[in-house]
Amino acid sequence: MNPAAINLPSILTIEDDPVLGAYVHEQLGRCGFQVTWCQNGQAGLKMAREQAFDVVLMDILLPGMDGLSILTHLRQSHSIPVILMSALGAEADRISGFRLGADDYLPKPFSMIELRVRIEAILRRVALDRRPLPALAAVRNDARCLRFDDELCDVFHQEQWAGLTRSEYRLLETLYRNGEEVLSKAFLYQHVLQRGYAPHDRSLDMHVSQIRRKLKTIGYTEREVRTVWGKGYVLSGLDEGA
Amino acid sequence: MKGLEYSLKRLPGKHSLFWKLACLLIAFCLLMIWLSWSWGRYMEQQGAFLSDDARATLSGYAAGAELAWNTGGSAGVDAWLQTMGKRESTWLGVIGNHLQSLSSYPLTDKESQRLTFLRGLDWPVSRHAKGLPWLKIPFPVDPGAGALVIELPQRFMPGRYQLFWRVVTNGVIPGLFTLLLCVGLYRLLIMPLNHLREQANAWRADQLATRLSHDATSRQDELGELGRAFDHMSERLQSTVSVQQQLLRDLSHELRTPLSRLRVACDSEQDLPQLRERLGREIDGMQRLVEDTLQLAWLDTERAPLPQEEIQVQALWDMLRENACYESGWPVSRLQCGLEADCWVRGHLNSLAQALENILRNAIRHSPAAGVVRLDGRREGDEWHLWLQDQGGGVDEEELERIFAPFTRLDGSRPGDGGFGLGLSIARNAVQRQGGHLWAQNAGQGLRVHMRLSAR
Repeated sequence: MNPAAINLPSILTIEDDPVLGAYVHEQLGRCGFQVTWCQNGQAGLKMAREQAFDVVLMDILLPGMDGLSILTHLRQSHSIPVILMSALGAEADRISGFRLGADDYLPKPFSMIELRVRIEAILRRVALDRRPLPALAAVRNDARCLRFDDELCDVFHQEQWAGLTRSEYRLLETLYRNGEEVLSKAFLYQHVLQRGYAPHDRSLDMHVSQIRRKLKTIGYTEREVRTVWGKGYVLSGLDEGA
Repeated sequence: MKGLEYSLKRLPGKHSLFWKLACLLIAFCLLMIWLSWSWGRYMEQQGAFLSDDARATLSGYAAGAELAWNTGGSAGVDAWLQTMGKRESTWLGVIGNHLQSLSSYPLTDKESQRLTFLRGLDWPVSRHAKGLPWLKIPFPVDPGAGALVIELPQRFMPGRYQLFWRVVTNGVIPGLFTLLLCVGLYRLLIMPLNHLREQANAWRADQLATRLSHDATSRQDELGELGRAFDHMSERLQSTVSVQQQLLRDLSHELRTPLSRLRVACDSEQDLPQLRERLGREIDGMQRLVEDTLQLAWLDTERAPLPQEEIQVQALWDMLRENACYESGWPVSRLQCGLEADCWVRGHLNSLAQALENILRNAIRHSPAAGVVRLDGRREGDEWHLWLQDQGGGVDEEELERIFAPFTRLDGSRPGDGGFGLGLSIARNAVQRQGGHLWAQNAGQGLRVHMRLSAR
C-alpha cells in the first residue's frame, strides 16, 4: 500500500516525560515512522551523533543535559533537522531556539496531527533540498497566462509585472509548482521563509494577502491562492469548490 | 556670553537646597566672627576695671588715712601706715597736694617717680603695665587735703578669671552655637532621609500602602523632589503588585470554570465520542486562556523593542477579514474597509495583526444581526489614525477605560462565549509596544475603537 515503506523515515525522540514520550513513540510509530525513544539528554546526544536519523524531536527541559545545549553540540558536526518541543511558549524561547539552529519549535501542548504535519514538512523540505531542481520550463510553457521570471523574481501577465517581493515570488512559485496540492503552513514556512511555524506568526498569511492583491491588480483571475482551513494554502482554479 | 548663559543655566534652582545651605552657613560664619570680636572686646574692657568690692575696701582705706591725718597728723599717719603694712603686703603711702609725703618719712626718688605716673625709659611700652598698678585715692571728706597712694594688692587685681572667660567666649559659646547649627542641619537634611528610610522599611514589611507625610512631599527643594519621586515609586509598586495579584486571582478563577465542567463531564455518564469531543473543547479553551495570559504577560514584561516593518493596512485587513469570515460565518460585505492602498504603517506585523484581530473579534461578537463593522482612518501628520466601528450597543462612558483591563467582561457578554476578557488588553499592550495608542469611544451607534500608529 505504501511504496516508501521500505525505507521508513527514522526519528529520534528525546523526551523525559514517560507518559508523553510513550504516547509520541506509539503514535509516530503508527504513522509510519521508525522511532527511537531516549529519556536522557546526554545519551540522546550520543545517539544522534552515532546513528543516522532523519529528524530529531527533542524537549528543552531534560535531565542530564538540556535541549539547547544538545542542539549547540549537535550543530557543531551535524546538520540533521531538529524540532524542539517545550512548555516554555514565550516568544523569547522560540527565538533562542531558532538562533541555535533548530528547524522548528513546537510549544506544548500540541496535538499529534500538528506534530505529524511539522515532521512531514521538514522531511519534505529536506527531500526537496537534496533533489536537483526540476526544470520549471514545463510549467512555464503551460502558463500562458502567468509567466514566471526567476531573474527578476516576479510574474508577468498581460504585459504587466505584478511587482512581487522575493518571498512572495518564492511562495507563489512553490504553490504553482505543486499544482492543485494543498501545502501545509508548516511546509511553506520551512520551504519559503526557512523557519518554523508559530500560531502568532502572520508573515505567511500577509504574503498570501499581498499576492492576492497584486494578482488582482494585474488582472490575473485564472487561478487564485485559496485557504484550506486547518491545512494550508493551494493555488487553484476559481470555479473549484467555490 | 554663551558660557555665561550656560553656567547660569547650571545654577541650582530658586528652591534648591543650595541656597538654604549657603545662607545658613554664611550667616553662621558672620555671627561667629561678630560674636568673638565684640564679646572679646567687652570682656577685656570689663576686665580692666576694679571690682566694687575692691573699690569699697580701697575707699575705706582712704577714709581711714584721712581720719588718721586729721586726728594725729604725721604721727597718726605713721601709726596708721604701720597697721596697714601688716594687712597689705604692697606699698602704701599718704601724700599731700604737692606730692609730698604726709607721714614723717619722705618719699624716695623711686617712689616719687611712681607717683608721677611716668614710665621709665627702659620700661616695656605696652598696654599691659609692668608689675602692679599704683592707685591714688583722694581723701573722701576733703580731697584737697591729701590722698592715699597704694600699690594695688594682688587680690584686687581685676581679670583674675580672664582665662576662664576667654575659654567661655572663644570656646564654649561658639561650640554651643555650632551644636545648634548641627541640630538645624540635621533637621533640615537628615530628618527627611529618615522618613524615606522608614518608608523603605515599611516596604520591606510588605506595607505598600504607606506614603510619606505631607511635609516631606510638599517641600520645594531637592529633598521634596526625592520624596515625591519616592511616593510615585511606591504608587507604581503598589499598583503593579495589585495588578499581579488580581491577575493571578482572575486566572485561577477562569481556570476553575473549564475544570469544573471537565469534572462534571467526567462524572456524568456519557458515551466515549461525546466525552472526547467535550474534553477537546474544554482543553482548547484552557489552552487559549493560558496562551492569551502568557502573551499578555510577555507583552507586559518584555521591554526590548519589537522589530518594525512596513505594513500595508489594506493587505492586513484582507488577511484578518478572511479569518474573521471563516470564524464567524459573516459575509465579506459586512466587514468593510474605507482605507486606500496608500495606507502603510510602521509596526510589528504579528502583534499588530493580533491587536487588530482581537478588536475585530470583539466588534463582531457585540454586533447585532446583520450589523456592519467598518475600518476607517485618516493621515494625521506622521501618524495614521485608524478606527474600527461596530453597530453594537457601545459601552457605558465610565467603562470605556475598564474594557482594556485584563479579565474584564461587561455584564452584557455571556460567560463562555469564547472570551476571557483578555483580547482588548492584549490589543492595547501590543499597540503600545510598537509606540501606538489605543482607546475607545462611543460614537453614534456602537463602539469606536481608535488606534494611532506611526506612518511609513
